[in-house]
Amino acid sequence: MYIEDWESFAQQAEALFRSEPLRTRYVLKYQHSQGRLTLKVTDDIQCLQFATDQAADLRKVERLNNLFFALTSRGPEATEAGLQQADEPQQQQQAPQRQQQQQSQRPRQPSRPKPRRTKG
Amino acid sequence: MVLLGADPFLNELNKLFDKGKGKDAIYITLKRTNLKPRKSRKEHPKAKYLSLVRAQGGKKKISVQLEESSQARFSDSFGTILRAHMDSLKKREKTRTLSSRML
Repeated sequence: MYIEDWESFAQQAEALFRSEPLRTRYVLKYQHSQGRLTLKVTDDIQCLQFATDQAADLRKVERLNNLFFALTSRGPEATEAGLQQADEPQQQQQAPQRQQQQQSQRPRQPSRPKPRRTKG
Repeated sequence: MVLLGADPFLNELNKLFDKGKGKDAIYITLKRTNLKPRKSRKEHPKAKYLSLVRAQGGKKKISVQLEESSQARFSDSFGTILRAHMDSLKKREKTRTLSSRML
């Protein structure tokens, strides 16, 4: 069933994905000859579809793409706010632990004691 | 279905878009998986979460499995490719009426 409103589609798609992360798939269909982009999010029981021919919607689609990528890799912990933090891949690679701790507010783990130097 | 690495997949995706222009539809599917073979009921202890990205253009199918670490870089390049190729969508028509312009 086609949903007309983008916000509604995005919210329902995210909810569907969070509820069934292993069964939900996100399909993009691009028909250049017709100038049409169709999105489908389904878990084989419920199906949400959105179709557009507007270039302006591309940016929204891209945001949704990034959200889905984050959800598939990080699981339910990923949020829209977490995405903005993770937008800079360098930060993500250098200090992934710090970001995760910030997001989930876990207590900081004590650092390991440094190995003692023995005199040679 | 050809399983590729992340960079070869992006190259092939580019080619799919170039070839399919004017002819075929391009399908891209994104899904999460934990690599458990379907028939086994037991939880696979080593199963990690991957995302599976598949693309089909005409008869040609390609796919890639992504781990968490390669996610961010891939999604950047992926977004760039999509934006570059999906250019046949209509630009926003100026539908503003005179009354709304005067407000």
